[in-house]
Amino acid sequence: MENTAKSVLYIELDNCIGCRSCLAACTQCGGHEERNRNYVYDVNPLVNRQTMPIMCLHCVNPACARSCPVQAIQVHETGAVLSAMVEKCLGCQNCTIACPYGIPKFDEEQKLMYKCDLCIDRTKDDIPPMCASVCPTNTLQWISKEELAAKKKKHTLDNENWVASAPYLENETNVRINLPGILQGTAKLF
Amino acid sequence: MLKDNVFPVKDIPNVVHPNETLVATHCCYCGMQCGMNLRVNTKSNRIVGVEPRYDWPVTLGKMCPKGVTAYQTVNHPERLTTPLIRDDASKKGTPDGFREATWEEALDRIVSRFKELQANYGKDSLSVFSGVSMTNEKCYLTGKFARVGLQTRYIDYNGRFCMSSAAAGFMRSFGVDRGSTVPWTDIPETDCLFVAGSNAAECHPTSMFRIWAVQERGGYLIVADPRETPIARRADVHLDLRPGTDLALANGILHQLIERGFADESFVAAHTNGFEETKAIVSAFTPEYTSEITGVAPDKIVRAAELYGKAPNAIVMFARGIEQQHKGADNVSAYTNLALVTGKIGRPKSGVATFTGQGNGQGGREHGQKADQLPGYRKLTEPKHVQAICDVWGIAPEEMPKPGVSAYEMFGLMTDKTIRGLYLVCSNPAVSAPNQNFVRAALRELDFMVCSDFFLSESAEYADVVLPATSWSEDEGTVTNLEGRIIKINKAQEPVGESKPDWAIQIAIAERMGRGRYFSHLTDPKAIYDELRLASKGGYADYYGATWEKIERQQGVFWPCKSEEDEGTPRMFLDRKFFHADGKANICALPYRPAAEEPDAEYPLRLTTGRVVYHYLSGNQTRRVPFLRDMCPEPFVEVHPALAAQYGIAHEDRVRLYTRRGEAVFAVKITEAIRQDTVFVPYHFGKEQSINLLTNDALDPMSRMPEFKACAAQMVKIG
Ligand code: SF4
Ligand code: SF4
Ligand code: SF4
Repeated sequence: MENTAKSVLYIELDNCIGCRSCLAACTQCGGHEERNRNYVYDVNPLVNRQTMPIMCLHCVNPACARSCPVQAIQVHETGAVLSAMVEKCLGCQNCTIACPYGIPKFDEEQKLMYKCDLCIDRTKDDIPPMCASVCPTNTLQWISKEELAAKKKKHTLDNENWVASAPYLENETNVRINLPGILQGTAKLF
Repeated sequence: MLKDNVFPVKDIPNVVHPNETLVATHCCYCGMQCGMNLRVNTKSNRIVGVEPRYDWPVTLGKMCPKGVTAYQTVNHPERLTTPLIRDDASKKGTPDGFREATWEEALDRIVSRFKELQANYGKDSLSVFSGVSMTNEKCYLTGKFARVGLQTRYIDYNGRFCMSSAAAGFMRSFGVDRGSTVPWTDIPETDCLFVAGSNAAECHPTSMFRIWAVQERGGYLIVADPRETPIARRADVHLDLRPGTDLALANGILHQLIERGFADESFVAAHTNGFEETKAIVSAFTPEYTSEITGVAPDKIVRAAELYGKAPNAIVMFARGIEQQHKGADNVSAYTNLALVTGKIGRPKSGVATFTGQGNGQGGREHGQKADQLPGYRKLTEPKHVQAICDVWGIAPEEMPKPGVSAYEMFGLMTDKTIRGLYLVCSNPAVSAPNQNFVRAALRELDFMVCSDFFLSESAEYADVVLPATSWSEDEGTVTNLEGRIIKINKAQEPVGESKPDWAIQIAIAERMGRGRYFSHLTDPKAIYDELRLASKGGYADYYGATWEKIERQQGVFWPCKSEEDEGTPRMFLDRKFFHADGKANICALPYRPAAEEPDAEYPLRLTTGRVVYHYLSGNQTRRVPFLRDMCPEPFVEVHPALAAQYGIAHEDRVRLYTRRGEAVFAVKITEAIRQDTVFVPYHFGKEQSINLLTNDALDPMSRMPEFKACAAQMVKIG
């Protein structure tokens, strides 16, 4: 089913500088109770400090939702995979195990899962999610489907496998990732 | 208005939460001055959060983690809310021994002690030490407060630790000091960026989307830095030099540019002086010789020169890495030489820019807070300049105090009792000055010290009276960002507790000192700004035409802006007129000098210092923000794995670092991102965690900037 979103979250991994603005910004999103739902990973901390953001990829057929015994995880019409519904969630933690990227976390006090909801209060109106709004390096971008198509054309590598999508990750995802090496295909100006 | 072809402003609606309004303003931290909206609860009238400001053309809503959490300092539980008085001087240097007082009592205490000191030891026994994280209005007023209110010659500011080498270098090269000759929106459109001594990704993160865009367009990125910082990691050429050898590297690159025919001879002949002398000086700096001094491989030097030389447009950018040295001003002029010799200046997409560390590092250095300088960048040694300011201030030229001494030198005068009283505002020298043991002893030596701040900083612990100042969002005014763009910051909530803006505090003190007639018309920031505009009129940094109204309408005004009709000057020197009397720029012949202290058998390592992305300056604000503190709670020392093996130390071991000035213990962070002969420690931490216990106080003869970036150190494993 084609989602209704005008724009997509697009991640250009090479750009990340590990500033963790995306984490700080996530805490500022309405209803997030000042808790971030995204993560930044130090790829090789004792070497060169390359970092990468670990975001919910808002899978088209999400393992978290599939694993939920009571369908507490809903997929919004924009494609966003929402946080568990308070009234339904059993606190069984199946989703936290099922997600291949470790995104859903468990709140021990409330016995409730919480995860990235793609800032649904913003993205439903095509306003960028907080993380992509602030990301100072354009690692996280909120771009139109036309812009995405243009990027795909520009950055096609020889093997054409430029976005993280089936079969390389869990499955088809609504969030697009540019695999490291974005500049490989860039022709130099002089 | 400026057009940005690579990143046009998108029309994104603001999100307004229920029961809230948004106040559009700018971040309180670095010189980027990112646009942000503060969320204000309409019932409590308090700031409760932040929303991106997508319409601000410089940053388009982007913020670093400091920016996102900046609002959390405003209503922080540790805010100072009443004046504090210390009756027992024996507790100086600790947070203890203060009692709450009324403003009346605090001001009376200050004025009676100031008058007593001046009666016994002369007017110049008082001093003012200020900062540039304040608005232009406050910076301007602080200069006037010292010279007219307290009538002392001793005023200087923490820009001596931060911006003064850039200022001195630009003055010598161009005859004017505007930190960037091009707007930031030109950056993504240039073809080659040469970034020297700037950890831009951590210190000015919101520049990074424009910097990466240069490479995405197929342009080149050259980075000179002893560390493989995030920006160096992706550079086309990383010049991994030894700390303190930047001048040799710049001379070496210039030598290559000239050798390989990249000099623009007609530009050089028509618009510059000094080329022949400079050519003679740099002729010795062959790639091999330069490599010997700097440790950078010769072919990298050749490649960097080739890329910069060939680029149709190129921008040279630099920051504290080259400036915080005892030859910082020379380093700045040496890098500026590259642009002048190749004629890559005075046109769009080409030029020179420095990343300003402090929020108002640009504006704050123009309005007369420096020991030797009056508003509009006028000189205290020029009778005509003095007269111009005396006319605005309504004093006679004989009443104008003489030039004083620079920031670090003031501590020397405290030690020998020439200076006995200190009014410290918006600065934390007990963390940020070099050679801390000396500086802390100097503060202890004072007969009387006042500190105005909004948290009890490490420096405030030495004060006799602490005054609660307002934070940036409880007042309004202007700041000048790193592009030279004058922008407006706005008030979002009423001051916390009994805190007052610094301008109001200074005017109250001046009145009680019997100098009220020079200040009483300055009833709000706008009135102060209008006097600043007059005082800067006809000066180098001319703000006269940049009214608040125009700043709002144009989304900032670039100085110089000389009249009502003038829209301001986003790009400098488009007419190829530099600001020296003959209209030409100086290409500077700069002989190489090594660092003031070179490694030896006893102190075999080089120590360099810098920032992390989570903290700002001395950390007085950011160490109190939970998110930022959690991300980086402690300083660390970066050690290369090969050096670690040699010393038998592992990741997270603790080591003691020594220099000739002090010692401190740090946790080890093993990383290949540092040179094998160098260790790095961030400087945002106080007390015994301050790396400035170890740094060198050798001063640049021209800018009086200390050598924070290179000294000789010893490392010993403990435990
Ligand atoms: S905000 Fe952007 S650059 Fe910073 S850590 Fe997150 S993804 Fe990386
Ligand atoms: S990334 Fe994980 S949490 Fe996000 S939608 Fe996919 S399975 Fe669910
Ligand atoms: S989309 Fe929103 S909830 Fe998800 S990581 Fe980004 S800021 Fe957090």
